[in-house]
Amino acid sequence: MTHFPPPPKKMVAFFRWFCKSQFLEELEGDLTERYYFNIDKYGNKKANLLFTKEVLSLLRPNLIRNIQFNHLKNKIMITNHKRLFTFIFIALGLLSVPLVAMQFTNEVNWNVADFLVMGILLFSTAFFCDLVLKKIKTKKYRLIFLLIVLLIFFLIWAELAVGLFGSPFAGS
Amino acid sequence: MSTYHLGEFEEIVLLTVAILNGQGYGNSIINEIEQRLKRNVSLGAMQTVLKRLEEKQLVSSVFGESTENRGGKRKRLYNITSEGKILINQSKEQRNELWNAIPNIALKFC
Repeated sequence: MTHFPPPPKKMVAFFRWFCKSQFLEELEGDLTERYYFNIDKYGNKKANLLFTKEVLSLLRPNLIRNIQFNHLKNKIMITNHKRLFTFIFIALGLLSVPLVAMQFTNEVNWNVADFLVMGILLFSTAFFCDLVLKKIKTKKYRLIFLLIVLLIFFLIWAELAVGLFGSPFAGS
Repeated sequence: MSTYHLGEFEEIVLLTVAILNGQGYGNSIINEIEQRLKRNVSLGAMQTVLKRLEEKQLVSSVFGESTENRGGKRKRLYNITSEGKILINQSKEQRNELWNAIPNIALKFC
């Protein structure tokens, strides 16, 4: 059988990663045997596809080992939460500006609905900024999408404040 | 009355293990089923059932020899246990009983 190529390395590595150690030897042997049989019968290309299919068919609860993601999960959660909390604090800071200004001047006069709408707008922007940084990895695209999010925020804000487009929600 | 009832595929696997008489392992059991029943079986489905039958102590297993066409990995050879034999006998008797209970007229075609 030495003239046959070995089974697809990535799928073998994946199988070794998820399979319970007590079943590893017999199952890998069965997979290899079927792979060589399929090469003989169908050729390399189809044998590779069938090998992948059979590895995936072994993804069953009683054959999968207990995979621990906790260390990785905690790391990701802390990083993401840190960033999201930073954005939320910035949003809260911005929201407190009119509240503080109202104590010193009559020029600023916000009611509860104003704070509510601005709060929703700021927190949505914070959420979308966080989402952009989470999902997009390239610096250039991150910058483009962040600018788009901020532009949308400023346009909605301006529309609500002074009515740029004359929508039903436009301010005066 | 047994406390464990076999599913249809479990029964087929158990019978095939009995047919192969101690020489059955994952691939040989699949080949036997495919040849005899003209039915496709995946390795995943087969292994799940074999492990379940082993947990229920209906089959036992030992490591066999390693061969070159298995990449040097050993086979796990399955054999039916006495509990397994009792269960397939019970299953056969139950089916025979049901077949015998069918009135002749019900099996006649128009």
